[in-house]
Amino acid sequence: MKSNSRVGRLSWSGQAPLITLVVLCVVTALLTSRFLSPLNLTNILVQSSIMAVIAMGMTFVIIGGGFDLSVGSTVALSGCIAAMVMIRYGIAAGVVSGVLAGAGVGLANGVVIAALRVNPFIATLGSMVLVRGVVYIITGGAPVSGEDGLPGAFVAFGNARLFGVHYLVWVPAVLLVVLSVLLSSTPYGRRIYATGGNKEAAYLSGVAVERIVASTYVWCGALAGLAGVMLAARLQSGQPTAGEFYELTAIAAVVLGGASLHGGEGALYKSVIGVFIMIVLGNGLNLLNVDSYWQRVAVGAVIVAAAAADRLRSRN
Amino acid sequence: MSQFRQLAFAAALLLPALAAVSGPGVHAEDKVTIGVSLPQDDNPFYIGMLKGIRARAAELGWDVTTVSSNEDKLKQINGVQDLVAKGVKGILISPIDAVGVNAAYDAAAAGKIPIVSLARGSTSPNQTIHVAMDEVQVGRDIAEWTAKKIGGKGKVAMIMGPSGAPTFRNLAQGYNEVLSKYPDIQVVFKTDGPMTRERGLKNAEDALVANPDLKAIYAANDDLALGAMQAVLAANKNGQTIVTGMNGVPPALKAVKEGNVAMTVELNPVLWGRLGVDVLATYLKGDKVEPRVFIKHVIIDSSNVDDVLAKMAPPKT
Repeated sequence: MKSNSRVGRLSWSGQAPLITLVVLCVVTALLTSRFLSPLNLTNILVQSSIMAVIAMGMTFVIIGGGFDLSVGSTVALSGCIAAMVMIRYGIAAGVVSGVLAGAGVGLANGVVIAALRVNPFIATLGSMVLVRGVVYIITGGAPVSGEDGLPGAFVAFGNARLFGVHYLVWVPAVLLVVLSVLLSSTPYGRRIYATGGNKEAAYLSGVAVERIVASTYVWCGALAGLAGVMLAARLQSGQPTAGEFYELTAIAAVVLGGASLHGGEGALYKSVIGVFIMIVLGNGLNLLNVDSYWQRVAVGAVIVAAAAADRLRSRN
Repeated sequence: MSQFRQLAFAAALLLPALAAVSGPGVHAEDKVTIGVSLPQDDNPFYIGMLKGIRARAAELGWDVTTVSSNEDKLKQINGVQDLVAKGVKGILISPIDAVGVNAAYDAAAAGKIPIVSLARGSTSPNQTIHVAMDEVQVGRDIAEWTAKKIGGKGKVAMIMGPSGAPTFRNLAQGYNEVLSKYPDIQVVFKTDGPMTRERGLKNAEDALVANPDLKAIYAANDDLALGAMQAVLAANKNGQTIVTGMNGVPPALKAVKEGNVAMTVELNPVLWGRLGVDVLATYLKGDKVEPRVFIKHVIIDSSNVDDVLAKMAPPKT
């Protein structure tokens, strides 16, 4: 293993998630011809879209050195609020209030973590449970779809296409471009990396670290809120039980994408590749008729492998 | 070397290994493969249903592909999309929600694949057939049985299911429809809410305190009934106040045998699964099938509980 040159290592390791994804796709395609059918490729894009939005938000937090377990509950909250508002006041009001609800949860998380210095794991574990409770309270535990269902145009958004690509896929595609520029090419973005990489050093060089950390949670909450709205369109209703365990899938995807749980490292497009790895794995296992009990073993093994890779890399 | 390359390599090994574990991944093209999507992998009801599906499919020489959803609606939609991409000939689904997974039905319709709902149904216009329990009729049967048992008069309490769920609305509708024909029977207590034993207990306690001469308690399912039974036993009213359940789960059957729950209704999930495959087979042959097909239900009380329990017991070796 040591025979690999340093140059080789540099050029490979940065693109490791992409290589993993390509290998996974090639292997699946060799095992079943259905994998590369246009229908299946479209399916993979749509299936990845909502998780991609959540994972991008999670990437902000993880680069900033934090962690957010509350995104799954936020998805449900935003979806239900969007549905409830939309039934009375129209689609635009519904979408905006859904995203704002998510941003509100993120702001609360950010204030508790950055200003009160509560450990992010505990703080967001608490908000995960709290927000889920709020969802059940406002909905009475029942799905929200109104008397005659959600507005037709909103439901169509969950299934229709623009230039041959689903609207649900356009959302993360556009976000990926805009937010990548924000993260890598603006002073604000560089401050997030600096804060996550070394908080002390960032503070000493004049970065308002508390504000930066808090802002990452707002991004995460707002994007989870947007994902919740997208999910409500997909499910044609606001679902109080939606998004359970999404936080774990999102974190796994971000780490699969090579971001470090120690902060300061990661890229949005790599997290999206991480999402694709998770989705292609599930899709491939379904196409290959792998028993659902074994699917859990496979997904768990991939998560463990990703965490181990993260650990080994940080030791190097 | 990069650990990521090891990871990629591990992923490359994983798929074929798993495919090998669960049998050949590539099937002869002429063999009929059907897809199955159920709400849970670990619920005895759905395990029984899948058993019935697999058994009947094997008799027909069909292959069965399952996708799991773990009560996650999006996962159920995704799984059905995968089944459509796989090119299955038909899909059996028990939708998690009547509205939430309609996109799964749309995906099947887009692939021109028939999709049959088992047990739970969908509002989707793309639902090909719904193999359902005749909920209103079950409600009527429970009420007829109860009215006969209490001699056509007395006070009755109803512990109903969640108000939003159509199944429990239909059950209660059938029940009330029959009781309204008995002028001497009054429904004196009515609640709706979650289907837990705890709630059955609490509501039955309240009903018994308010109405010491209560004759019967209708519980919308066996969990509620088992809770209500505890309240009846604690109040020493066994024999004076009867409790009826619905579903025929093993602890309820035991309670019927012991005389603590008066009756329950058996919905056999294995037969449900078999019927689903038969309905799909009829449809695929091109024969006409009604959009709603009802599964038979059996009333279980002290007269036949021994037979039912004997059938459920594992065969002696």
